[in-house]
Amino acid sequence: MAQYNKLNFIVIDDSKLDCFIAEKIIKNTGKCESVMSFLQAKDALQFISSATPDDLTHTIILVDIQMPVMNGFEFVEAFESLPGSVVNNYTIYVISSSINENDLHKVHNYKSVKQFLNKPLTSNNLSLLLS
Amino acid sequence: MSTGRKIQVLYIDDEQNNLNGFKATFRFDYTIFIASDTVKACEYLRDFPEISVILCDQRMPEKTGVQFFEEIRVEFPNPVRMLITGYTDIESVIDAVNRGHIFRYIKKPWTDSDIRSAIEEANKFFLTNALLVAKNKELTSAYAELGKFAYSITHDVRGPLLSIIGALDLAKGMDDLTELRELLGLMSDAVTKLDEYIKNTHEYYKLKRGQLLFSEIDLNVLLSDIAALFKIAGRNNNIQFTSNVIQNKPFYSDEISIKMILNNLLSNAFNYQRKNAKEKYVDVVMEVVENDLVITVKDNGIGIHENHINNIFDMFYRATSEETGSGLGLYNVKDALNRLEGTIEVQSVIDKGTTFTVTIPGKSHGAV
Repeated sequence: MAQYNKLNFIVIDDSKLDCFIAEKIIKNTGKCESVMSFLQAKDALQFISSATPDDLTHTIILVDIQMPVMNGFEFVEAFESLPGSVVNNYTIYVISSSINENDLHKVHNYKSVKQFLNKPLTSNNLSLLLS
Repeated sequence: MSTGRKIQVLYIDDEQNNLNGFKATFRFDYTIFIASDTVKACEYLRDFPEISVILCDQRMPEKTGVQFFEEIRVEFPNPVRMLITGYTDIESVIDAVNRGHIFRYIKKPWTDSDIRSAIEEANKFFLTNALLVAKNKELTSAYAELGKFAYSITHDVRGPLLSIIGALDLAKGMDDLTELRELLGLMSDAVTKLDEYIKNTHEYYKLKRGQLLFSEIDLNVLLSDIAALFKIAGRNNNIQFTSNVIQNKPFYSDEISIKMILNNLLSNAFNYQRKNAKEKYVDVVMEVVENDLVITVKDNGIGIHENHINNIFDMFYRATSEETGSGLGLYNVKDALNRLEGTIEVQSVIDKGTTFTVTIPGKSHGAV
């Protein structure tokens, strides 16, 4: 992702604490143009589908798996059905406390998901991912 | 299937005399159904699922007893099948017994005591099987719940723990006191959530394994015990809390279960309020109507979307990301109501509020 100077971030997690942590860590990297968190995946999806594509900045999505109403997988499925011009502006990372093998395997089924990350998000593993 | 009732026996024979004789002999000890052909027999089996023993003559014009048993095995696997036959058919009988179509055969001519002991044995076998089926079902559901629990532990227990680990790591590099305080507040919520989960798990276990204890319940006392906590929560969050108890006669039930049910419904009513609503309220009415206790818990909170309303009693189901639900509260309520043979109904409109109506039948005095 070295081709982008600045990145936008979207954090989707039903835990306020995890959103708070992610926001701080992301801001601390110094590579962040903007960061938004959503406690509900539906709201994030709504935002993404109505946002105007920006060719200059790429957006990284960090999405939790286990959330009520719309879970992380359901979000990714809905996201993948959006137009290609929208989808291409985003890179998704699934982040979870799950150590369930089914969840881990399921992540590989989605082509828009780049990688599975274990919680908690730390400055170290975020920097690794951005370098 | 009750052991206190008469054993239900179906007897099939093409000779009407045999049928009549059979019925006359055994009708005082057993409930007897007689059929002169297999079509009629199947009708009885369909209409009376409590038939536990089938006796059938081997030699009948349209088909043999063995053939009949082979045919009905799929549709009616539970009743115990016994064949009545003479020695001449012994080869086909042995074959049928070995293939599992028949529990036992009774040779002709039979005596009353042959039949009686065969029926008693067959019924014992039937009851044992039924018990085994029931136990297996229990076991299957217990395993399914265990699986759900194991999965939820990684999220509901490990989740908050990992959040706190992450927060601690973040806090090390923080200098801004205001920011640090905000972080501490969120950490405290995460710990509360974890504790809530553990309390609910304990409640779940208590309900599953605990014995029901029926005693006379003074609803005014019960409500004031529970309401004290909610009154404080109501004052702090500006929620008007009203309650009304109408009890004109004694009510007997399991007090712990009712407290748990009330506690969960009230917790939900107080938690799932609209943050910015002006006149928030929770209203509870407990009334003894005829023999039933009817509890109505009403709020004007966030409501439940109709897509979720059928799932809210499922284990670990959460219909909202508002607040810190464990997904066990209403499951526990439903489970307790199943044990008390009670019912729960819910009416809800998004952004208008929710009303839960619980009906619990009272036990007669001293019943256990």
